[in-house]
Amino acid sequence: MQITIKPEGDIGIATITGEIDSRTAPQAQGELMPVIEKFNKIIMDMTEVTFLSSAGLRILLLIYRQATAKDGRVVLVGLSEEIKDTMTMTGFLKFFVVAESLENGLKALA
Amino acid sequence: MEPMTFPASLDSLSPLRKYVGDAAEGTGLSKEATYKLQLIVDEIATNIISYGYGDSGLSGDIIIAGEVLDNKLRITLEDTGREFDLSKKELPSEDDLEKPLEEREIGGLGIFLTMRDVDNFNYKRIGDRNYNIFEMYIKEHDVPSNK
Repeated sequence: MQITIKPEGDIGIATITGEIDSRTAPQAQGELMPVIEKFNKIIMDMTEVTFLSSAGLRILLLIYRQATAKDGRVVLVGLSEEIKDTMTMTGFLKFFVVAESLENGLKALA
Repeated sequence: MEPMTFPASLDSLSPLRKYVGDAAEGTGLSKEATYKLQLIVDEIATNIISYGYGDSGLSGDIIIAGEVLDNKLRITLEDTGREFDLSKKELPSEDDLEKPLEEREIGGLGIFLTMRDVDNFNYKRIGDRNYNIFEMYIKEHDVPSNK
């Protein structure tokens, strides 16, 4: 799993590629949480995330809580059908703003 | 498929998922069902590694086997960790899953996803060994109507 972070104006864009499981989750948490601290608006581009287990859900939960606590906003971009399914079944999806493309994600935060 | 043995370490999760993908290949199991089976094996293997072995101070292996039986793919995980029947674990309720994320407890979601997605689950303890057996039906119309 790899994460790259770049600012776009006042928005922090985190692009995640690969698999988020119990092995990679601590690294994902370590790299994503500072983005939440630094930016109020965040896009997580997950177009290239091929696997997300409950360890990944836990990170989404932490990010959501952190963002909510500081009146921030998080948009998830490019979720696969499988990941959407996991998030729907666990009641996670409805709490996130979801966009199909990075362009639409940026619009959602404009 | 020939069974494979992996050390009970989180580094084994990705190879375990790959084994499931390889076992599903050519069987006709749908892409969605294959992903679900990979998620199930990941969640339960994580449980075995973290609690069955880790918390108990034990170390050991996980043996994975895949076999096609009539209209289903069966994956068996075998380990020598602490006895743990996940079908007896209390799962989050519908109400829990409706709660705002601020009030959520995160535990149990992996097992919840497993129990929701698997077509058949069976657990056996024989001697010092745990057997977690998961089956997915290969054709949609073969799934029993109560699923």
